[in-house]
Amino acid sequence: MTPSRRTRTPNGGLSRRHFALSLPSALLASGCAAPHQGTGRPGDPIVLTLLSHYASGEAKAALQGPVDAWNATHERVKVRTKAVEFTDLLTTFMVRQAAGQGADILHPYCLWNGQLVQAGVLRPAPSEHAEEITRGYGEAAVAASSVGGKVYGYPTEVQTYALYCNRRLLREAGIDGPPRTWPELEETAQRTARRDRYGNTLVQGFGLSTYDDSTTVGQTLALLNAAGGRFVSADGRRTAIDSPAGRAVFDLEHRLVVNGASAPGVNVYKAFPSGQVAMVVSAGWWTGSLKALMGKDYRDVGVAPVPVPGADDKRATLSTGFMLGVNAASEYPREAWEFLRWLNAEKVRVKSAAKGATATRMSSLQVSVGSMTGRADDMRTLLGKGSDPNLRPFLDALAYAVPEPNVPGAQQAKSLLRKNIEALWTGQQSVDDALRTTRRQVDQEVSRSW
Amino acid sequence: MIRRRFPWLSYLVVVTGAVLTVVPFLDMVMTSFKGPGESGTLPYRFLPEAFDLSNYRAAFDQLDLPVLFRNSVIATALITGSVLLTSSLAGYALAKLRFPGRDFIFRLVLSTMMFPPFLFFIPHFLILVHWPLAGGNDLFGRGGAGLTVSIAALAMPFLVNGFGIFLMRQFMVSIPDEVLEAARIDGAGEFAVWWRIVVPQTKPVLVTLGLLTFVDAWNEYIWALLVSTANPDVMTLPVGIQLLQDYVDPTRTMPIVMAGLVLSILPVLILFLLLQKYYIRGVMLSGLK
Amino acid sequence: MVNTLAPVTTGRVAHGAAVDGRSRTRRRRQAVVAYLFLAPALLFFALFLILPLGFALLLSMSRWAGFDLGDIDPVGLDNFTGLFADGSTFLAPILTNTLLFALGTVALALAGSVLVATCIDKLRFQGLWRTLYFLPIVTTVVAVGNVWKYMYEPGGLVNGVLNALGLGSVAFLQDPDTALPSVVVVQAWASVGSAILILTAGLKSVPESYYEAAALDGAGPVTVFWKITLPLLRPSLLFVCITQFLTGLQSFALIIVMTKGGPGDATDVAALEMYRQAFSYGDWGTASAAAFVLFVVVLGVTLVQLWIFRRKGEDA
Repeated sequence: MTPSRRTRTPNGGLSRRHFALSLPSALLASGCAAPHQGTGRPGDPIVLTLLSHYASGEAKAALQGPVDAWNATHERVKVRTKAVEFTDLLTTFMVRQAAGQGADILHPYCLWNGQLVQAGVLRPAPSEHAEEITRGYGEAAVAASSVGGKVYGYPTEVQTYALYCNRRLLREAGIDGPPRTWPELEETAQRTARRDRYGNTLVQGFGLSTYDDSTTVGQTLALLNAAGGRFVSADGRRTAIDSPAGRAVFDLEHRLVVNGASAPGVNVYKAFPSGQVAMVVSAGWWTGSLKALMGKDYRDVGVAPVPVPGADDKRATLSTGFMLGVNAASEYPREAWEFLRWLNAEKVRVKSAAKGATATRMSSLQVSVGSMTGRADDMRTLLGKGSDPNLRPFLDALAYAVPEPNVPGAQQAKSLLRKNIEALWTGQQSVDDALRTTRRQVDQEVSRSW
Repeated sequence: MIRRRFPWLSYLVVVTGAVLTVVPFLDMVMTSFKGPGESGTLPYRFLPEAFDLSNYRAAFDQLDLPVLFRNSVIATALITGSVLLTSSLAGYALAKLRFPGRDFIFRLVLSTMMFPPFLFFIPHFLILVHWPLAGGNDLFGRGGAGLTVSIAALAMPFLVNGFGIFLMRQFMVSIPDEVLEAARIDGAGEFAVWWRIVVPQTKPVLVTLGLLTFVDAWNEYIWALLVSTANPDVMTLPVGIQLLQDYVDPTRTMPIVMAGLVLSILPVLILFLLLQKYYIRGVMLSGLK
Repeated sequence: MVNTLAPVTTGRVAHGAAVDGRSRTRRRRQAVVAYLFLAPALLFFALFLILPLGFALLLSMSRWAGFDLGDIDPVGLDNFTGLFADGSTFLAPILTNTLLFALGTVALALAGSVLVATCIDKLRFQGLWRTLYFLPIVTTVVAVGNVWKYMYEPGGLVNGVLNALGLGSVAFLQDPDTALPSVVVVQAWASVGSAILILTAGLKSVPESYYEAAALDGAGPVTVFWKITLPLLRPSLLFVCITQFLTGLQSFALIIVMTKGGPGDATDVAALEMYRQAFSYGDWGTASAAAFVLFVVVLGVTLVQLWIFRRKGEDA
């Protein structure tokens, strides 16, 4: 609160403005408490805040479990969780950081790491933690948690994309199993789609949904990777989607819509659980919510790897993920990293698995909500007998998945891609236009953000 | 003309328009009573199967409605009170006191109405964040959260209203000078003149201005959304109810959101129905600008 | 409209030398009191109008992450050129959407309000109609947006009515071709009440004798409407037009609630883009630049409005 806390005054203009600001606040004498965590009194515990999108339901409870365990066993450092919905998470990070109320520990979507690092929100992992991370996780997960070769956090939730299908709808259309190639995918989609006489979609063959990023961009990028393509170039400054692979994906989606096998206006998150979608490409986390939403009907749900263009093509898909990092503005980075190591790297006994089997608390947490981490060893331990067989394809995909690019401007690039995909699906753009416009817009955005 | 020859046509137009206006509200109320799986399914049905209050209970369970309500009330009261006070004081000075710079200040007040609010979202937010000596900030506005920690942040950018000053001034001009002069000769100071003569005489305008301000403040969304994102403790009703969408299971989302909306628009609706004469006059007066 | 810049009635002329000294001290005291009365407002305008304008202008010409005031990095006009660079979505579709949204709202609200206002005059139950038409105006945008969003859904009221009439369903907010018009309808629906009110007041000021004269001349209702009602209503119409247009250019709350700018960028408008660039992407410079570009548009419309009204004032 004293002027000595002012570290630097870059120029006179700034301090004059500050002076102008200070006068009325003295007049108003507003009695506002400092927002800072803990009481600051010696002897009182340090309170670390953790902001994630585990805002409701079982994810919230699953995170609270280990946090409570930590708080029960650690006198000096306490952790308090805060949560917002995923759609508000990035804005909340940015707004709270700007308002000086950023949490000590952040749980960003790895897509944003470039932006958050460039804005100075995230703190690089200290070397011992960085080593621990590089050692313990799969390549895609480490790459997603790194920016410019530096590691910024512990990968937590890792999502790979695979093909969900409603086996009942497939059976009713006389199809034995999930498609393995794109021609099979198209045929299955055509045969399962149904409409009523008003044109209302009763069943979508292949769920193309404009509902959110993960259903539009996620499934397009999964198909793109499966066709051997990439969204952003290796140096991260250009887009690479205007390629034969990109064209093949756009063509496929375009045909599905035009032929009536897909209805982009329908929200697949609602339609699939009610048995109105035969197939959709989505991430592994969905198994958990589907199980809860569908109850008995969940036995109809099957999962298969993302189909590849030709029978001989190598498998590939998209992986996305989250990580836990430490705020550059946190007053207690050492304590925060210590907590993160305890949560993400320390192995503890797993009750349900074979005797002596261990896994990290984070791995147990993720598996308990039907999700995964990038630790393949933990996943094999935890997804043993008795777990949902639908999770297997997602675990297998960890080995061949391609991480979502996380360059600065990646979120904007993703939004631009989404806009163009949606314009393609709704017939506003041809495949050519969509490819060209995406390239132009993403190139401008990504180059501007550097 | 039209109305004389074809009165039924006039009625048809007006009634159709009124129905179009009211039906969304009825749909909101009806949906708020619909049970799980009853909304959003084909074919559409207007009436709920039963008038079930469970959605209202669910809205209370999901949100801390009393806190949201309290925040909305405090912010609205701060804004309305401040706008009335500052508009009346400044309007009186501009209408009835003589001092150098009066025309300039009046023009300044008028010109403030030209600046659209969106221009100020970013700088207002930053000014509140870097408010010196508040929320852990130092004298130079650094190091803390500034006024965003306080409920005052919701109200700050709306405390003074150029239109309010203008409106009060226009009405005060018509108060006869002799009345004020008589009070002054009786030894009343300017403050007493303002409080005892001007304020009572302008009461209807004050009610109108107060009502306009109240409705705007209660319904404000964008700024409240921004401040609540920085500090969820000060979340207002509209922001909270928008959040409801994310919190509940999809088959019940809409009915619960609608229940929350019904609760949140009730206070302002009741106030409007009671005082609509004043409100409607206010909308007419805003044509004066 | 009232000429707002008319000088205040100055009241008394100086009475004579005897009272001169007393009145001078009194005048000085009055000036002090006046400034005291104005102080809260002036302080507010300094802090929340002039300072922010300067700050926004500085930001629009800087690159800044938004966290430490010391890191503001001036870059000249880069942010503005970036907005209009090749591949930027700001000009098309964002600014185009903004204009279409504003124009569409004006057209719909004007048509609806003229129709209702000419019919409602002298009808019975005035109070009832007025109350009903006013409901949307006092309702928060969160309620308006959500109710309409729900009505537009496949299982919602609008599609329910379409299906009942034997028509196919429309994915109003999901189809980019219909998304913007659908939002425009809601914005017009929400603002038509005040337009009706102002037009009704305008109609009341049309002298009855005009209509009587027209009736004597045997003019039909359509002729009366075009030749008498509309021309005499012109000031009110113009006022409604311009205020609605200005509101339309700036509003994005309804769009945040209903579509968040989607699908694609079909309903993305300038003010929403500004909000997102600043608060989601931390690009305060681009956001401020976008705000100023929109401000220039708004200012242009405002000046046109002032010019038209001033010219009308001279005509009268």
